[in-house]
Amino acid sequence: MTIYTRLEQWQEQGIISPEQHALLRGLSRGEPFSLFLELNILLYAGIVAFVAGLGWTVSTWSQQLGDVLILTVLSMLLAACFWYCFSRAAAWSRAEVSSPNLAFDYVLYLGCLTWSLELTYLENRFHLLSGQWDLYLWATAGLFFLLAYRFDSRFVLSLALSALAGWFGLTISYWPTHQDATYRQYAILYAVLVTGAGAILQRRGLKAHFLGTYLNIGANVLFWAVLSGVFEWQDALVWYMALLGACGASLAWGLARRQFSFVAYAAVYGYVGISWIVIRRLQGATAVLSYFVVTGVAMLVMLVMIARRFGREA
Amino acid sequence: MRAYTESSEEALRARDLLKDWAGEGLLTQAQYQRMEQDTVCELRRTNIFLRLVMYLFTLIIVGAAVALFFEVFLSRQESGTLLLIFAAMSYAAAEFAVARARLYRYGIEEALATCSVLFLCYGLQATKPDGAQFLVPAVGAIAWLWIWRRFGLPYAFLGAMICVLGLPDYFTSSHSARHLIVAALYAVGLIAVAAARSHHRFTVLNDDYSVAEAFLWLGIYLAINLQLSPMNLLGNWWWGPRTAAEFSRPFYWTTWVLIWCLPPAVLARGVRLKDRWVIAAGAIAGILTLVTNKPYLGWPHHAWDPMLLGALLIAVALFLSRWLARGPSGIRHGFTARRLSGKDKQWMNAGAVGLGILSPHSFTPSPQPDSPDFRPGGGDSGGGGASSDF
Repeated sequence: MTIYTRLEQWQEQGIISPEQHALLRGLSRGEPFSLFLELNILLYAGIVAFVAGLGWTVSTWSQQLGDVLILTVLSMLLAACFWYCFSRAAAWSRAEVSSPNLAFDYVLYLGCLTWSLELTYLENRFHLLSGQWDLYLWATAGLFFLLAYRFDSRFVLSLALSALAGWFGLTISYWPTHQDATYRQYAILYAVLVTGAGAILQRRGLKAHFLGTYLNIGANVLFWAVLSGVFEWQDALVWYMALLGACGASLAWGLARRQFSFVAYAAVYGYVGISWIVIRRLQGATAVLSYFVVTGVAMLVMLVMIARRFGREA
Repeated sequence: MRAYTESSEEALRARDLLKDWAGEGLLTQAQYQRMEQDTVCELRRTNIFLRLVMYLFTLIIVGAAVALFFEVFLSRQESGTLLLIFAAMSYAAAEFAVARARLYRYGIEEALATCSVLFLCYGLQATKPDGAQFLVPAVGAIAWLWIWRRFGLPYAFLGAMICVLGLPDYFTSSHSARHLIVAALYAVGLIAVAAARSHHRFTVLNDDYSVAEAFLWLGIYLAINLQLSPMNLLGNWWWGPRTAAEFSRPFYWTTWVLIWCLPPAVLARGVRLKDRWVIAAGAIAGILTLVTNKPYLGWPHHAWDPMLLGALLIAVALFLSRWLARGPSGIRHGFTARRLSGKDKQWMNAGAVGLGILSPHSFTPSPQPDSPDFRPGGGDSGGGGASSDF
């Protein structure tokens, strides 16, 4: 029985009105057909390509164009973006606020990226703060947090968290090679700070819907940091216990809030860490392969139980 | 042929739509609960994260079990036939998981089906049928197609298309002929899918055909775009962009004309069918044409090229959204720029977390730390790109 037949039946049974029937029948046939997602992706891709080209042009032609022209253009673009956002935004609210139009979030995003570009140019050309990038990143993170909360933008919040991570000395591209103890400690500090701040702001009702962004980023950074400790083989017991603690917390949160990404984090990161510890003690391929078969089955059984108990969709 | 009954899949589709409509406030809670009772079905689903993790662990179990079997009992010389047996066992297990446990997009049956095709291909490869090596990609493509039809897994269709890429190597050494054969095979597939689709326009199978058609359009486009073709990508990385000298001039320039003609045609079909996937395929093909046009013509890239492309994309998006918004009730020709589904918002939120973090690192120059030694607050990275070196 197709959805159209069901809708007919529900109308005949008086569960839905004729108006609802007409609307829902149209929607299920793609009438009207929403291009909302496609237009958003197009705008995002456009902004990213535009700023990439702008950065490339500025870095390639800075000598020919001259500082005055470059800074004027960047400043005008920045001012135009922020003027647009401040003039069109709805009044601030602690709750979630919808964007006034489709382009609004992307104009704000363009402004933020232009800010980053201009700041970088200024420092590289004039060394205003003598290469103290931490101050720039600190200021940038602060500005982006303010803008994210003022205009209710998850995109800008992600940028703010990225800038803050930069201040802590974190960047994704550095992960494979920089896994020393100091680096790890600051990663954990960052994760705890981000998660804690997200939780406090949510408790205070300040853009509570941002919590997911804080937690997802915080959880991933925390797991990477703890896993790097497990891999390093020094103080293994401490890191092993930390990994178990993080997995337990992630699992508990995921199950309690029905946010199964956290269950997935606990399963995958936990399995990788524990397997690393166990496999290094095993001798021979047979033992290693047996380990994967046995533990894989155990994990699968546990996941099926979780899925049947908590994660069923139909 | 399908492992699931049409009524079960229609019930799941109805459930999804009801949930979405209730979330958007189009149904009251009482209406939703009453209607949901009519869409109960026996299939078991789970959410996307658990599905992915269960897929991963099933792959680990099956892979490790087969490797363990070979490690304990056999040498590699005898592996071919046994892999074929393991392929049959994996497939039987997938069928069992669906028939008995009623799993639907649950990860487990998907991984078992995936393993069955992989074992089949490796088994055939290991048995080394002399003069019939083309059987490996051919049988692989047929097996993936069967999995796609039987279990309705969209990525299985992509697997079949990837196998098809390996076929021309066994028949010709000509680069041009390889491109033509792949494009022709995809075109045959497209005609078959389009013909089959016309009978399922308003059924749940339409979604499967929609994704398959989009993959085929993109496949044809990539096969004829000599600067992008998967068959050339490796070569492009090693030896730089392809030039007209590597192909006959008529062939090279015919493909250049085609890469300009195909995207509008795909877009037009997607718009006519109101098919999200085909529209996306047309849009991606159009952007790729703009990106590869200069290498095609042998013109040099300029630093401002991405800026122009970005400006064009922004202009198109803004024009479309404004044009649609000015229509009666924000609708023109059956299209609207308004959000009508809660899923769109979920996708946007998920994308904002991932893309918001990754993109600044990828399109700004790499940070240049003054010192390799870490110090807290060193600020040598991140910052939405506020760390590049001019």
